Amino acid sequence: MSRIGVFICHCGENISRTVDVERVAQQVGKMPGVAFSTDYKYMCSDPGQNLLKKAIQEQNLTHVVVAACSPRMHEKTFRKAVEAAGLNPFLCEMANIREHCSWVHENREEATVKATEIVGMMVERVKKNRVLPTITVPVTKRSLVIGGGIAGIQAALDIADCGHEVILVEREPSIGGHMAQLSETFPTLDCSQCIMTPKMVDVANHPNIKLYTYSEIELVEGYIGNFQVTIKKRARSVDEDKCTGCGVCMTKCPQKKIPNKFDQNIGMRTAIYIPFPQAVPNTPVIDRENCTMFKTGKCGVCQKVCGPGAVDFEQQDQLIIEAVGAIVVATGFDLYTIDEKPKGSLIKGYGEFGHGKIPDVIDGMTFERLASASGPTGGKILRPSDGKEPKQIVFIQCIGSRAREKGISYCSKVCCMYTAKHTMLYHHKVHDGQAYVFFMDARTPGKSYDEFWRRSIEEEEAVYIRGMVSRLYQKGDKIIVRGSDIAVGVQVEIEADMVVLATAIQPQKGADTLAQKLGISYDKYNFYSEAHAKLRPVECATAGIYLAGACQGPKDIPETVSQASAAAAKVMTLFSKDLLEREPIVARVKESGCVGCFACKKVCAYGAVEEKEIRDRQGNLIKTVAFVNPGVCAGCGTCQATCPSKSVELDGYTDEQIVAMIESL
Amino acid sequence: MTEPIDTSIYSAVTAAIQTEAQRILAAGLVTAIVGYAASRRNGSTQPIIVTDAAAAEKLIFTPASVNNLALYLTKAKKEIPKKGKIGIVVKGCDLKAIVGLMGEAQLKRNDLYLIGVPCAGVLASTVQPSTALTADTIASKCTECDARLPSDCDYVPNVQLPTQPQLAGKYAVEIARLEALTPAERWAYWKEQFAKCIKCYACRQVCPFCFCEQCLCDRNKPQMVDTTPRPAGNTAWHIVRAMHLAGRCAGCAECERVCPMDIPLNLLNRKMAKELKELYDYEAGFEVNDKGPLTTYTDKDDQSFIK
Repeated sequence: MSRIGVFICHCGENISRTVDVERVAQQVGKMPGVAFSTDYKYMCSDPGQNLLKKAIQEQNLTHVVVAACSPRMHEKTFRKAVEAAGLNPFLCEMANIREHCSWVHENREEATVKATEIVGMMVERVKKNRVLPTITVPVTKRSLVIGGGIAGIQAALDIADCGHEVILVEREPSIGGHMAQLSETFPTLDCSQCIMTPKMVDVANHPNIKLYTYSEIELVEGYIGNFQVTIKKRARSVDEDKCTGCGVCMTKCPQKKIPNKFDQNIGMRTAIYIPFPQAVPNTPVIDRENCTMFKTGKCGVCQKVCGPGAVDFEQQDQLIIEAVGAIVVATGFDLYTIDEKPKGSLIKGYGEFGHGKIPDVIDGMTFERLASASGPTGGKILRPSDGKEPKQIVFIQCIGSRAREKGISYCSKVCCMYTAKHTMLYHHKVHDGQAYVFFMDARTPGKSYDEFWRRSIEEEEAVYIRGMVSRLYQKGDKIIVRGSDIAVGVQVEIEADMVVLATAIQPQKGADTLAQKLGISYDKYNFYSEAHAKLRPVECATAGIYLAGACQGPKDIPETVSQASAAAAKVMTLFSKDLLEREPIVARVKESGCVGCFACKKVCAYGAVEEKEIRDRQGNLIKTVAFVNPGVCAGCGTCQATCPSKSVELDGYTDEQIVAMIESL
Repeated sequence: MTEPIDTSIYSAVTAAIQTEAQRILAAGLVTAIVGYAASRRNGSTQPIIVTDAAAAEKLIFTPASVNNLALYLTKAKKEIPKKGKIGIVVKGCDLKAIVGLMGEAQLKRNDLYLIGVPCAGVLASTVQPSTALTADTIASKCTECDARLPSDCDYVPNVQLPTQPQLAGKYAVEIARLEALTPAERWAYWKEQFAKCIKCYACRQVCPFCFCEQCLCDRNKPQMVDTTPRPAGNTAWHIVRAMHLAGRCAGCAECERVCPMDIPLNLLNRKMAKELKELYDYEAGFEVNDKGPLTTYTDKDDQSFIK
């Protein structure tokens, strides 16, 4: 016979104002199986918890029901207290008589009856609770970081500095990401490459970091603490071990006119190339689509001139399997395609701004390359069309962002600041030039951000016009920009030499495919979703996978770095123990009833259901049944609801318990 | 309306099944074949499991070949050999069940040798098995058949299906009639139907999709469904059955055929299928789907029920 203790909390007056707690305690005390019931002003307080512990010991209680607030609030508190008194923590349940009762009712009489019923249900449920041992899962203390931009680099360095091995995977031939493309960074105007490249070198030299560039994630299997990741290392055509990075191959390559993606296609590169001089690793890669040798079978100049004989036209893609315990996703962003509607995208294009048609209408990242000392113009602001210095330049903000009718409702967050920066860089380089900015609102929250924006107007002479551009067209060698100044209420027309569009930030292409491989959720824009917008902003709902940087939503560099370090801290928390403890509220399969239809496997959002073969002593297959991996199961109960033969049970929420609760009413 | 239905091809089909069965049994391609054989009563057929090439001549196909033999591949499989491929004679409607069972990991295509039957229709359960097939005597499900010629089978007799008279879809008519009723009238109708149920579970035993080893209705800890044939338990059972078959049942109508109390069980299944078609544009039984519409979520799913 169970000896259940029921503890009714007043929650100050939160509960007792509407519910007659003494009467509830009295009524419930009469229920069969209840050995002790009482009420107290604050059950969660120290004296309250002591009261509970004392009662368990003195009354020799076997189960406990605490009728108070939501279990989300204090379930852990009371389970800990119960454990301290020597009971299994999962023999304690909470009855929510605050959110579910006192807060939502006014009539004291009715609320008291309802509270009694809620507590009564939990008494029936707790009677059937089982002692649940904590689940432990071994942890592989290596981590995978996907994406080698500033987010991935920071996370990788932090984890590696703590002494754990990191596998860093980057899709491009070099790490560095978008930050390596930038000229200067707001709000201090320090050179992006100067602060970025030392970190890139740190990655390359770190004994704990294993770097795979020109590689992609092919397959992710397993669960928190125990992932198996298959990485596809694409053929570089250059042996990384032999190459010294001398660069002779690049100087001799006859294909010299290939648009360089790193320079936003305005600079040119060879077919065997490194994307930029500071690339890490400093090993070239052959772009097989444009290489004469791969196209015609004749050439091979790079191979002939290569001293160490590193060029290998026969190299094949490789599949590498790595075992890791945690994954940091840091795949970053991509810029909005302005001129056309990307295929399959919910976003419409901005054909009216002439991007792609008018050569001197460029996007913000192209401006960064023009302003960069290592860029195609050596840091001079020159028009792509005729190489002249633009004397009048127009910046247009919110291209794509905050335009629901075009498909993106969010703010890209960094454009206000980088446009302010662009006006300054322009003013520093073209002293007699004039910059105009069309903007909707200036959004400058952040340390020293508003001061920076004010500086672009007050000291660097940028003219800010509040309003959007209505029309933009080429006239001679000028671009006529027509728009409204809503602050003054007039139409303005500017004869510009160059126009820079502040285009929206979007998730990296293929972000959805990667999310499906990882089993993490993403929003309608393909930004990855965090487990909780406020309290768990760097974790995915899928255990063991963490987020860093703009793959989760638009972010600037300081924020990205903070989040990357936060994700690294989460990984370190996971790695701080040899065994991972998990709450044992997980599903169990009753193998005798399971017919292996795997409906549970189909609906499991966590990939926790596996197929298990049951064999007789001779090894003959009797049947294949479902098996719930307790290390992965999140205890959501979807499998239990789906199983047609009721062969899956969620501990603590078994059908028997639920029916007992209903029948108590 | 006693318009005759041409079933002259059935003798050619029978001959072709026998030849093919003999060939694959003799060649050892299969260890057994599940098919139809003549039964004792005049004109009737019964399921048969043939394991010997010499016995292949017993296999026939007639308008009385009503059973869905897919059943013999799952719960009734104890009667057939455990090793090797199994051959099975399938009508288009039965094939849909097999396709569904493959999607639910109960069957593997490689373990089966499918002998498809071009079918002009079978007899309703209410007429004598020797009756000629006409627009009056044809089974209700055949009036709405969209799979007269089974596809993706290992073997299909090379016969030309005769053109069929246009038949009014009996379920469609009945569903339309019930949909036009008020909820109260409809509830009264079904209450009356379910009240007839004697809980013999013949519908469960004959259904190819009721393959659970332990039916939830037989569980008693907790007792989910009242076992005695009383209104509440009857209604619960039939609702559980309809819900469990939604998105899976392709309409072989065996439940309705075997029901001793003539409860229009397939009507409920057809209504569920219609809902699935309207909500998710999904029809069961045409291709092997890993995930049915009720075990998948897409953001295009109907959300109108959230109010």
